[in-house]
Amino acid sequence: MNNEAMNNGKIQNPNDQTCGERSRTIPKGNTATLVVEQVTKRYGAGATEVTAVRDVTMTVAPGEVVLIMGPSGSGKTTLLSMLGALLKPTEGAIQLNGDVISALAENRLPDIRLKQFGFIFQDFNLLSALSALENVALVAQLAGAKGREARKRASDLLTDLGLRERLNFLPEKLSGGEKQRVAIARALVNDPAIILADEPTANLDSKIGHEIMRLLRRIAKEQNRSVVIVSHDQRIKDIADRVLWLEDGQFKEMVTMAIDPVCGMSVEREKAAAALEVGGTTYYFCSKGCRAEFEGEQLKGR
Amino acid sequence: MFLARRNLFKEKTRLALSIGGVALAVMLVLVLNGFLTGMYRQITSYLDHSPGSVVIAQRGVNNMLGATSLLPPDTVDEAGKIDGVAGVAPILSQFIILDLHGKKQPAYMVGYLSERGGGPWKLAEGREPEADDEVVFDSVLAARHEIRLGGLIEIMGKDFAVVGLSEGTTSWMTSFFFIRKSAAESLLRAPGATSFLLVTPADGESPEAARDRLGDLPGTQAVLKSEMAANDYKLFARYFSAPLQLMTGIAFLVGTLIVGLVIYTATVERQREYGVLKAIGARNAVLYRVVAAQALIAAMAGAILGVGLAYAAGEWIMAARPQFLIVLEPMESARAVVIGLGMALAAALFPARVVAGVAPAEVFRK
Repeated sequence: MNNEAMNNGKIQNPNDQTCGERSRTIPKGNTATLVVEQVTKRYGAGATEVTAVRDVTMTVAPGEVVLIMGPSGSGKTTLLSMLGALLKPTEGAIQLNGDVISALAENRLPDIRLKQFGFIFQDFNLLSALSALENVALVAQLAGAKGREARKRASDLLTDLGLRERLNFLPEKLSGGEKQRVAIARALVNDPAIILADEPTANLDSKIGHEIMRLLRRIAKEQNRSVVIVSHDQRIKDIADRVLWLEDGQFKEMVTMAIDPVCGMSVEREKAAAALEVGGTTYYFCSKGCRAEFEGEQLKGR
Repeated sequence: MFLARRNLFKEKTRLALSIGGVALAVMLVLVLNGFLTGMYRQITSYLDHSPGSVVIAQRGVNNMLGATSLLPPDTVDEAGKIDGVAGVAPILSQFIILDLHGKKQPAYMVGYLSERGGGPWKLAEGREPEADDEVVFDSVLAARHEIRLGGLIEIMGKDFAVVGLSEGTTSWMTSFFFIRKSAAESLLRAPGATSFLLVTPADGESPEAARDRLGDLPGTQAVLKSEMAANDYKLFARYFSAPLQLMTGIAFLVGTLIVGLVIYTATVERQREYGVLKAIGARNAVLYRVVAAQALIAAMAGAILGVGLAYAAGEWIMAARPQFLIVLEPMESARAVVIGLGMALAAALFPARVVAGVAPAEVFRK
């Protein structure tokens, strides 16, 4: 089994082994399906025209973790910006639960971003003058929460993320991992359906980076939120349900990840050493040995 | 708006600079206005304190301090005979240049009859002149030139004994001194000459009615004392108001620029943070409020400090240079706070443009 803490809508504090009893309950996420249909984004015109994203189509289901990878300049950031209603596509449509958000008037987009999306940035992008608590509470207040309620929500979230002792710390006093956890709390405070993360591990060492990615995966799975991550980091592929390779503005290769039911390892379905269909479900294995073991278990079960 | 407060207080040096800039500008505005008010008060102080409510001057002379007036010889007697006139105080006045310790000092000489009025209205020391070689000198001018009661000063080549020191008769440009009218006639070599008549209407007679009755005296014109004071005020305002108001305007501009520049720099430095807020979903209006609140807090704190500084500076200036009267009125202080508000709003314009121009998608750019 994956080492996620499955505790009914609670996020397990990665630093706190006993948090299963102490953590507060965070409401189950607001869910949505994000559909991208033949989206193209062009900058400039005439001789200077550049196509950053070309005819991209994808769907992100609730609870799914999608990792978009690709070389620099491949259009990842432009695509992420369009997914988050920060940029409008030149062609195509982006739908959120059936609503075409790419066609909405500019003045309606801030509300969509505030309530439907949670953003996580590479540089954390916390407001330097505000404490961890205030950074999170401010976003709740922007969405209409009153001061006390906003602080309570922010405090609960940060506590659940293991930052109870850091509530009143300014970002400059926090470590990289702590800053990213504050950023995650900020992204979650308005209960968004979709979390968009831009290189969330780029400024973190590999241990903390992995911890953050596991946390994001837990949020997706436990709260049924969709998580879209843009990253160069090959080491985080195993936490994704799907890995998409973007190059020259187009998806070139799509990798669907699966968990080996025997050893718990992440395997790319397309490159799995073995696969087996049982009762209409296909299982993927890292090795033939695992498959054999699985088959043995199945036979015993009969 | 805790974000505005936090942004502002995070950079204490910048905040101090911003508050200090506004405080200095507001102080300058208040001190300059106080100086102007004080100057106008000094300009009209003689007429404000002299007897009567109608002034008779030579025909064509509408003010006291900016023109020389010489009345026909029998005007004093004829004015006294007109119905509705209770009293007439003739004065012979002239701007003259005194030579005090080798320095040229303009002063306004008033020759008057002590039994009719028109002399000093408040004596700090001594008494009124009883002989033609006695003078009551302005106490501030006397102090500046170390002239003491009992001392001698030379006026137009003649020595006068200082027998009194008057109060409220000073101004930065000219101060008053008082001698007997006969002494003034002698100094000016104009026996029987009179510059102005200060006319007191009889009980029950309005100043306007008295002025109308006095209007027929040949070679003269009767003017209400309040009109004469207003004309003196206008005369000086024409010369001093424009430059002082220009300086006030410059002070306002400097204060606005300081706050504007400080808030602008702070906003540009936090441009990415504003972009993050926009990306997260903050509307422009929210960010405008943050920027405006920062400017407002800095400007209001500066304005309040500026009012305090203005009072301190006014006191200091008047102690160091008593010829300057700085009048700071409560309404002016309230106006300074409004000026501070104006500065804040003007100063917030440029940073608000920066915020408006931030593209939320830029936050994903490295």
